[in-house]
Amino acid sequence: MLQLPKCLTAVALAAALVPLTLGAQVRDVISKEVSVGRSEAALRLELTGDAKLEISFEDGQVFVDGEPVGSFKTGDDLEIAWRALLGQAVALDNDALSRMLSDWTVPADLATELAAVAQEIDQALEDALTSTEVTADDDEGTVSVSIGDDASILRVLLNSTNRLGLMQQALEGIAGDFKIHVEEDVVIPEGSRVDGTVVVIGGSLRIGGDVDGDVVVVNGTLELLEDAKVRGEVRLADARITKNLGEVDGGIVKLLDDDRNLETEIRDRIRDELRGELRSELRSELRNVTRLGREDDGFSLMSPLRPVIRGVGGLMENLIAVFILGLLGAMAVAFAGGNVDAISETARHSPGRSAMVGFAGTLLLLPVWVLGAVALVVSIIGIPVAVAWLPLFPLAAAAAAVMGYVAVARNTGEWLSDSGYPWTSWIRKSNPIITVFGGLLGLMFAFMAANVISIAPFMGFLTGLLMVAGVIVTIMAVQIGFGAVILTRGGRRREWSAPLDADAAWEAAMDVDVEIEVDPTNDDEVVNDEEGRDA
Amino acid sequence: MRKALLLAVLAATAMPAGVYGQNWRTVTKSRKIENNDPVRVFVDYGSGHFTVKASDEGQLYSMNLRYDEDRFEPVAEFSGTRLELGVESTSNGWSRRGRNESGQFDLELARGVPMDLELNFGVVQADLDLGGLALTDLGLRTGASQTTIDVSEPNPEVMERALFEVGAAEFTARHLGNLNADRIEVNAGVGELTLWFNGRWQRNASVSIDMGLGALELRIPESLGVRLEKDSFLTSLDSEGMVKRGDAYYSLDWETADHQISIDLDAAFGSVKVVWVR
Repeated sequence: MLQLPKCLTAVALAAALVPLTLGAQVRDVISKEVSVGRSEAALRLELTGDAKLEISFEDGQVFVDGEPVGSFKTGDDLEIAWRALLGQAVALDNDALSRMLSDWTVPADLATELAAVAQEIDQALEDALTSTEVTADDDEGTVSVSIGDDASILRVLLNSTNRLGLMQQALEGIAGDFKIHVEEDVVIPEGSRVDGTVVVIGGSLRIGGDVDGDVVVVNGTLELLEDAKVRGEVRLADARITKNLGEVDGGIVKLLDDDRNLETEIRDRIRDELRGELRSELRSELRNVTRLGREDDGFSLMSPLRPVIRGVGGLMENLIAVFILGLLGAMAVAFAGGNVDAISETARHSPGRSAMVGFAGTLLLLPVWVLGAVALVVSIIGIPVAVAWLPLFPLAAAAAAVMGYVAVARNTGEWLSDSGYPWTSWIRKSNPIITVFGGLLGLMFAFMAANVISIAPFMGFLTGLLMVAGVIVTIMAVQIGFGAVILTRGGRRREWSAPLDADAAWEAAMDVDVEIEVDPTNDDEVVNDEEGRDA
Repeated sequence: MRKALLLAVLAATAMPAGVYGQNWRTVTKSRKIENNDPVRVFVDYGSGHFTVKASDEGQLYSMNLRYDEDRFEPVAEFSGTRLELGVESTSNGWSRRGRNESGQFDLELARGVPMDLELNFGVVQADLDLGGLALTDLGLRTGASQTTIDVSEPNPEVMERALFEVGAAEFTARHLGNLNADRIEVNAGVGELTLWFNGRWQRNASVSIDMGLGALELRIPESLGVRLEKDSFLTSLDSEGMVKRGDAYYSLDWETADHQISIDLDAAFGSVKVVWVR
C-alpha cells in the first residue's frame, strides 16, 4: 500500500500513479448459471458493471464468450478439472463464488496443449472477475480508487486532458475519505451506509442508502432514490441527475462546464435530429420517385393518378364478375332453362315470400349442415354419405344462391328491356342469355357507378352511398333468388310461380276441390257440391 | 433437500460426458438481490417434481433444474420487476422414446422481497413451502398433479387474493391462515382436496370453493369462526360441529371468534367433510 498526498487532484494523481498502486478487487456476481449435460458443461456469469462471461465445453470445443479457444476430449483431465470447478460453483454465490473462480489456477498435471487451453480459461476468469483498485492512505484519510477495467484509466486520461481543470474544481475543498470509481456503475443500496466522499467518473451512481460525505459525479449520471440521504454536497461535473427523490443536506452544485456541455449537447442533438429527418425525407422522396405506380401513402408522381387507377380497377373487377356470373347464367339457361324459368317466375310473382324463405334458408344453412353431418355420422351406415355431405352441401348451397341470383338478374334484365331507359335497348327479352347479362349489369350498376364516381375528387360521400345501395340490392337479389330456388325445389315445382289465386290457395290450404254451380233461373239458389277428403 | 441436490449436481458435474445414458441436463441458476423492489414471479413447469421454499442466502432466486435437453430448455429471464422461470418445450411432436424418469425443479425464492407468485403446472408432483415469502398475490394452476402447499410461516405482506385452480388432482394446502389473504379462491375439477385452515390468522377472509367432482375435507381450527354456505348438487355434507341458520352453517363460536372466515361452497357430485382440529 502506497501513501499518497490527497491534496492533489485525486483523479489525476490516482491515474498518474496507477502503475504503482493498482490492486486487485473481485467483482460481484449478479447472476450465475451452471449448465451440465452430456455434451456441454458451461458457466455463464453476469457481473457488476454489465460485464458478462460465458465459458463452455461443448462437443469437444472450449468457448470463451462464444469464441473457440481450444479443444478437449471427453473425459480428459481438462474436462474433469472444468467439471470439478463447476461442481464447486454450484454451491457458491456472490463473493465466495467470485473469489473461488478468480483464484482458480491451471492444474499442474495437465498436458501442454490442455494447459494452454486452461490458461485461456484462467485468463478469462481473471479478466472478468477482477477489477483494479487503488488505495492510498495518509494522515488525513484514505483514497480508494476502483477501476472498471485496465483500459478505463487510459480512456479517462485520454478523454479528460482538457477536463482536468473541471475535475479539480469538482474535488476542490473535499476532505476525508475518498472512494473513487472509474468507469464503474455504483449502487449504494437502501439501508446501507458509506462513510466519506464517493466519486464516480464515467459511470452511474445510484443511491438508495446513506452517504456520510460528499458525492461527486464526473461525466456520468446520478440517481437519488426515495430513501437516499447525502449528508454533504452533491457536485455534478459534466453529469446529470436522472432521478431526485432523496435528501441532500449540502445542496446540489452543477459546475459551469456542465451547463455549457449540456447546451452543446442539446445543440448537437437537435442538429443531428434535423439532419436525420432531412436525410429520411430525401430518401423517402427518392424512393417514391423511383417506384412509380406502387401503392404508397406518401406523395409520388403517381399520386394524382391513384383515384383513376383505383376506380378503373374496381370497374374492371365488377365487369369481370358480371362476365363470370353471366357465363354461369348462360350455362344454367342452356342446360336447365325450364328450371331457371320456374325460379325466375317465382321470384317475380312471389318476391316477398321468396325473400323470407331465402332469409330463413340462409339462417338454417349452418345448423342443417352440422346436424346433417352429425346425424349421418352417428348412424354407421351414414358415415360414407357424411363424407360427401360435408363438402357437397356448401357447394349445393352456393350453387343455389348463384342460380337464384342469375334468375333474379334475368327478371331485372326483362324489366330493363321494358323500361325504355337509355342504353337498354340492346337487351332483348327473346334472348334469355342477353337478358341475364343485362340484368346483372343492372344489379351491379350501383357498384360500377360508385367506381366511376370515386375517380372524381370530393365525391367520397356519394361513392359510399352508392356502395351501400349496391350491397343492399345484392343482398335482396340473393335472398329472393335463393328463396325462389328453395320454393321451387331448384326449379322443379311451380306452385308459387303464378300470381296468387285465392281459390287455388284455399284449395291448397284445405286440400279440397270446390265447385260452385249457379242456377241461372234462380239467383238465390246456389248449390254446393263438395267432395271432401279427410285432411 | 439442498444438500441432496447439491450432491446430485456434484455427481453430475464430476461425471465425464460419456457416462451419461440419457440426455439429462442439470442447470443451476441464481441471481443476487439488487434491491427490494416488488417482483412478479412466473413459474411454468410441465412435468416432473417441483419444490419451492424461501431462502436467506441473499439471492432473489436460486434454481436447480434437471430436464431432458432433447425436449425442453430452461427459462430464466429477469427484467427488473418480472422474473420468469421454468422450462419450455423444444420438441414439436410426440417422442417415441420412453421416459420413465421425470425431471426435477427445485426453486428457492428470496425471503422478504415482496412478490406476486404465479405457478403454472402440468403433470407435476409439487411440494411448495411458501412460508417466509413476502407474497402480495398468489396464483397456482395445475393440470393433473399431486400438490402439497404448506405456508409454514406467516406471510409478512397482505395478500389480496390467493387463487388455486386445480385440474384433476390431489391437492393439500396447510396453514392457509398464514397466507394473510383477504380472499382465497379454490377452483377444482376432479380430485381429492384437503384444506387446512390453521396458521396465524391476522384478518377475516372470504373463501370461495368451486368443486366439480371429488372429496373435499375442510380442516378448521376450533378457534376460528366459520360460516359455510353451500350450493351443491348431489353432494353430501358432513357438517358436524356447525349449526344451520337460514341458508348457512355456522361454527358455534362464530360471533365471538377473533377471526372469521366465510366459505362459499359450490360443489357437484362429491362429498364435503368438516373436521375440527385443535
